[in-house]
Amino acid sequence: MKRLALALLALAVLLPPLPGVVGAQEVKLGSLNDLTGPTSDVGKDIALGIREAVQYVNDTGGINGKRIRLFLYDYGYRVPEAITTYKRFRDFDKVPAILGWGTGDTEALSPTVGRDRMPYLSHSFSAKLTDPKTAPYNFVYGTDYSSNARAAMTAWFEEVWQKDPRFKAAREKGEKPRVVMFYSFPIPYASAPIKALKDHAALLGFEVGSDQDVSLVALDTKSQVLAAKAFKPHLAWHGNTTMSVAATIKDAHALELGADHIVNNWGYDENLVRLAGPAAEGVMGIAVTAFYGEKVPLMDKVLEYGKKINPGVPPEARMIRTVQSWVQVLMMAEAMKRADKAGKLNGPGIKEAFETFKDWTPGLGRPPITLTATDHRPGSVIPVYRVKGGKFELVKNVDLKARWPKEWDGEFFGY
Amino acid sequence: MYLPAGIYHETYAASHAWWQTNFVRAKMALLVALVATLPLYASLYVVSVANITLYTILSALGVQLLIGYCGQITLGHAAFIAVGAYATAMGVLFWGLPYPVAMAVGCLLAGLWSALFGLPSARIKGFYMIMTTMAAQFITVDFIITKYVSRVGGREHYFSLPPGTITIGGWPVDSEVKVYYLASALTLLSLAGMANLLRTRVGRAWIAIRDNDIAAEALGVNVVYYKLLAFFAAGVLGGVAGAVWIPSLFFVSPEHFQLSWSVWLVGVVLIGGLGSLHGVVFGAIFVTVIPELLKFAVIPLSGVYPALTERFLYVKEAAFGLAIILFLLYEPRGLAYRWQQVKNYFNLWPFAY
Repeated sequence: MKRLALALLALAVLLPPLPGVVGAQEVKLGSLNDLTGPTSDVGKDIALGIREAVQYVNDTGGINGKRIRLFLYDYGYRVPEAITTYKRFRDFDKVPAILGWGTGDTEALSPTVGRDRMPYLSHSFSAKLTDPKTAPYNFVYGTDYSSNARAAMTAWFEEVWQKDPRFKAAREKGEKPRVVMFYSFPIPYASAPIKALKDHAALLGFEVGSDQDVSLVALDTKSQVLAAKAFKPHLAWHGNTTMSVAATIKDAHALELGADHIVNNWGYDENLVRLAGPAAEGVMGIAVTAFYGEKVPLMDKVLEYGKKINPGVPPEARMIRTVQSWVQVLMMAEAMKRADKAGKLNGPGIKEAFETFKDWTPGLGRPPITLTATDHRPGSVIPVYRVKGGKFELVKNVDLKARWPKEWDGEFFGY
Repeated sequence: MYLPAGIYHETYAASHAWWQTNFVRAKMALLVALVATLPLYASLYVVSVANITLYTILSALGVQLLIGYCGQITLGHAAFIAVGAYATAMGVLFWGLPYPVAMAVGCLLAGLWSALFGLPSARIKGFYMIMTTMAAQFITVDFIITKYVSRVGGREHYFSLPPGTITIGGWPVDSEVKVYYLASALTLLSLAGMANLLRTRVGRAWIAIRDNDIAAEALGVNVVYYKLLAFFAAGVLGGVAGAVWIPSLFFVSPEHFQLSWSVWLVGVVLIGGLGSLHGVVFGAIFVTVIPELLKFAVIPLSGVYPALTERFLYVKEAAFGLAIILFLLYEPRGLAYRWQQVKNYFNLWPFAY
């Protein structure tokens, strides 16, 4: 006991003084993350990336000379703890804006952040968050799940169904393409785009098979794959996260489902290739930014800061999630800079600054972001990728607005 | 019951009274005053932590009734909270009911729904009861609410209530402080109601069933009826918790009522102490306040050691799990028992033998 006390005392003496105490100007920024809960498989990479990106912003001049002070905290995907942590950020740490995480905390806090006038830039891209009428203070940096699903389906339809010789016979017979959807029914992230996807299937003339419920932690999905096989699908949508998507794709491969796969963005990353191996070949999916290490502007900095700030994590273990958190932080920093220039570095000021974004991009393979006071969808251009030889290659950029201008502002908006 | 020398009772009513000495009455008055004035001197952050604590108390109260008083192990209580929350939200949103009426409807529905899932308890007990209550969890939340209820009215998968829709007699419940007063009033009412119920014929029957259901039946207790009554009462208490959840977020989603929350509530009751109303309160305070205190340790330090929040945070979860294990090993009767011991110590002081 005495020795422990001594050790603690020594630690206290050796600790450098807290930064910020010296009186440097700083901007606070809260971040809610999941490092221990059910979404921690991607949440850890995100948290590492946020820390690195904030350091990068601070090293390159901060917010017009003010350093960002990051308050990053894990809430274990427990909604009550997300609420108390949010309120701690609001009342105790007094942050002007928050980086949010999943659909659980983001949607639950959406009415509250609207009332508190606290800009909330989340990793959840639920389409509901992009309608300023219902969620005025919510922002997303990637295209919403419903648009993603529409884009992935469009890309497969145009690039594979209409061109691939495999489907030549079926096309000439005038057959309709058949699609089946694998996702976890009770998980809002997974079920959010389903209605949009079914509408889109009707729009493009697909036949839709019955949905298959696959848990987020599924290891064996043979019964669902066999049930889907009876329908002889040409295409399978996967709406879950990486682990369960990999399990389904492997089972589909083993049981010769014979369908192509399209995957939503939280199920499509470097781990999918690692987990599914050869079964992942040809799988198409959505990525809202470039993959880790891809040759795009600013990626050199992402690699450099990864090595510098978190030398213990090998670059092979890093994923697209790091790049996504860089885009999140840089977008928030940009809004803060604009708000600061206007002399309003507070909640409403940052919201207004977000709404001045016009074709803004930090690089990193993120298509330009445009936000207005009436539409918080970050853009209509959605890159669709494909796995080829264990690497990701761009299939095409689907521009939903250019393709369906009337629907983009009508029924595509807000769900 | 320890009473100071010279105090004795002449009627049964007096000897059954809750607060028998002026010291206890003063203590209780102080507690009520403390609860009532908290928002005056505490920050909004403290108030919202108190709100979550009150919500946890209300949620765990039904679990305590079932496990601690009636011996029916439940792992599906979040389902009944969800029924209360959804019925209240839908009553306010779709049928324009005043919030108190919607709450009453929600409580009743939650109670009936809970009694329905209590029916198997007529035949089975123990571990098998865990299975049927878990079935209640999955059928209610993952299936009915997620697939059907939450899609009513063309909404996606959650309900979001416009501000100003929740009013009690024209008084809008729209800030943390107001939710705090609402939640504390309901918590005090529920606790008082439970405490009184437990010393009636009903409560004694429940305890008899918990201690030995065969013996209880031999003594003339209608076991099935009282078990169902326990499920009904627990469901109603869950409904109250669900109704309180609505104004604190103006939002309800199936994700708030997952199995993990049901299990968490059993943890609350175990930490606090089975078969004790104090236990529910202590357990809820423990599981809500300890993580907040950990934040005070971790967040300021993360400025110096950023890795603390990213790489060592599992320590927080591990510490929490360890606390539960240590409780089961060294304090199986929970915090409530420790509280009794402390009181006894002072009651007997200085002759504690």
